[in-house]
Amino acid sequence: MRSNSSPAKTRPTPWDALVVAAVVLLGALTALLFYGPKAHADAPLTCVVSVGGQVADAAPLASFSGEHTYSHNGYTLTVFVHDGQVEVLHSDCPGQDCVRSGAISRAGQSLVCLPAQVVIHLEGAVDGPDVIVG
Amino acid sequence: MKFSVKKLALCAILAALALGLSTLESLFPVSLAVPLPGVKLGLANIVTVFALYVLGPVEALAILVTRCLLGGLFSGTATALVFSLLGGLCAMGVMILLQRSRRLSVYGVSIGGAAAHNAGQILAAVITLGNTMVVGYLPFLLAVALATGSLTGFVVSLLLRATAHLHLNNQSDNR
Amino acid sequence: MKRALSLAAALALVLSLTACGAPKKAETSLFAMDTYMTLVAYGDGADEALTESARAINELEQLLSRTREDSDVWRINHGGGKVSSETVQLLARALAFSDETGGAFDITVAPLVDLWAINSDHPHVPSQAEIDALLPLVGSEHVSFGARESAAPGSYDVAYVDEGCAIDLGGIAKGYASDAVKEIFAAHGVKSGTVSLGGNVYVCGMRPDGKPWNVAVQDPQGDGYACILSLSDTFVVTSGGYQRFFTAEDGTVYQHIIDPATGAPARSDLLSVTVICPDGTRADAYSTALYVMGEEAAVGFWRLQQDDPFEAVLITADGRLVCTPGLTDHFTKQEGASYEIQFLSR
Repeated sequence: MRSNSSPAKTRPTPWDALVVAAVVLLGALTALLFYGPKAHADAPLTCVVSVGGQVADAAPLASFSGEHTYSHNGYTLTVFVHDGQVEVLHSDCPGQDCVRSGAISRAGQSLVCLPAQVVIHLEGAVDGPDVIVG
Repeated sequence: MKFSVKKLALCAILAALALGLSTLESLFPVSLAVPLPGVKLGLANIVTVFALYVLGPVEALAILVTRCLLGGLFSGTATALVFSLLGGLCAMGVMILLQRSRRLSVYGVSIGGAAAHNAGQILAAVITLGNTMVVGYLPFLLAVALATGSLTGFVVSLLLRATAHLHLNNQSDNR
Repeated sequence: MKRALSLAAALALVLSLTACGAPKKAETSLFAMDTYMTLVAYGDGADEALTESARAINELEQLLSRTREDSDVWRINHGGGKVSSETVQLLARALAFSDETGGAFDITVAPLVDLWAINSDHPHVPSQAEIDALLPLVGSEHVSFGARESAAPGSYDVAYVDEGCAIDLGGIAKGYASDAVKEIFAAHGVKSGTVSLGGNVYVCGMRPDGKPWNVAVQDPQGDGYACILSLSDTFVVTSGGYQRFFTAEDGTVYQHIIDPATGAPARSDLLSVTVICPDGTRADAYSTALYVMGEEAAVGFWRLQQDDPFEAVLITADGRLVCTPGLTDHFTKQEGASYEIQFLSR
């Protein structure tokens, strides 16, 4: 292989434009992929329900609609999933904190019922905060 | 394949030069625009391209790897090493391929190399961070690559013209 | 060419030794101290750090729980006696916070918490006479502790409270636990992680991508966030009456934080208070205290602490979000939350 036997071209040739075009095309493609119109459409959320430390359900929120009941520690929770939201509709736990927490709809949010040890957590969406305080 | 003393010395000088350049470019942190650890302009590519033209692919690769390993050793972080090596190897591979096309000039080769360099760094980021979202930075880096690649091409073309009379790549040293 | 190949092989070997991949992520969650806790750590020591943190939290709960009959706090409340020096140190800090906050934070409010049965299944509104009868039992002067004087082998610390009085370290235990987790993380070389102990958050170092952690402050009035704070290496604690509350028979809504001065649930003009500072125990005590104080006194208290400053986000009942100036560069408004943002002047 005599790769260096012919003198190197030190002035731009029209063919160089092809390389530039390829780079621009690659950039445009990834830009479209990441910043295109659909990129920020609702990222799919996953609803993860753990009962007593064990994952009981993990499903895309969209396909998890309806009522689900979970029982643990002698308490029963009715969880209602609708329109991209999750709420605890009813619980026979004493504190009722889980029912009062209202509905959650964003990544990173969770509903917790301490007595029943039920945790409903929404996962997904890249832009969600790392940790929630309050 | 054997390195003559002259070639070995030249490789060592070029490796040192590349190391100096990569230190120099840390003064112009791209990380201000692209918040990824280890992403660099790729000024050291000037040496790689130059070596590729006057010495050949094997020598250029040796210089590149030496530069990356020493740079990683000096900075002391494994991440920096992965970034520079992956970026450098990607650039190397693409440039060796592009250089084989007799139609491209130094500019085309170095622009392609710079783009590959940044793509490789994004790849390194995906591997080290375990997060594909960083690919979103690629368009910005490619835009930067067009500029740095052209600059590299310009500098190397000057270098090649200036050193043409030295016959650094004389036949006896070539394979 | 053989030589080139062996060179490449050697290089690959060296690389595989030096190049570490993505920082390892480890995660754990547990129910402890009456709350749900999640811990996330990155790095080589992450697994060990989490295991040890969970163990430490459970041990602290055994020490500091009011309801466990083998706890130090139980012993203090039931005649007093031998307790661990860790408990005594925390007790001393709690009393200091009480002093500092003019009694807005007070661990001796426990008898009134019991009277209102506020954390139980059936909270109720007591009569004013009942409250007045118990109010004299509130105050740091009812707590005594110290290292036992005889420095005999196996010497221990003692603590007790006056007859009828009781302490509850619940307002500070989670903060103390988060401080303990911080030390465990550091000991295991964990440089990145988040710890959420039910309203008590510790953000360790930076995110693995080198950016600060985004800590969302819950919107007390909606299901979203009031604001996002970009923070690293600090503690964030929120107190508010919006999560635990009960409605009395006459329709009045009472939240769960008792004002030690009145002996009744605090009627604060604040919905929530978030305190940010590098001391988890302090942040925990302050967030409760500031909530009880109300906006004006809380801002005044913040101004007085300029020699050892802390940051805070106060969300008021009249729809304002009041921030200390140190948070200016860490603050992101949240779309959807309709609070009027105000930054305090120094």
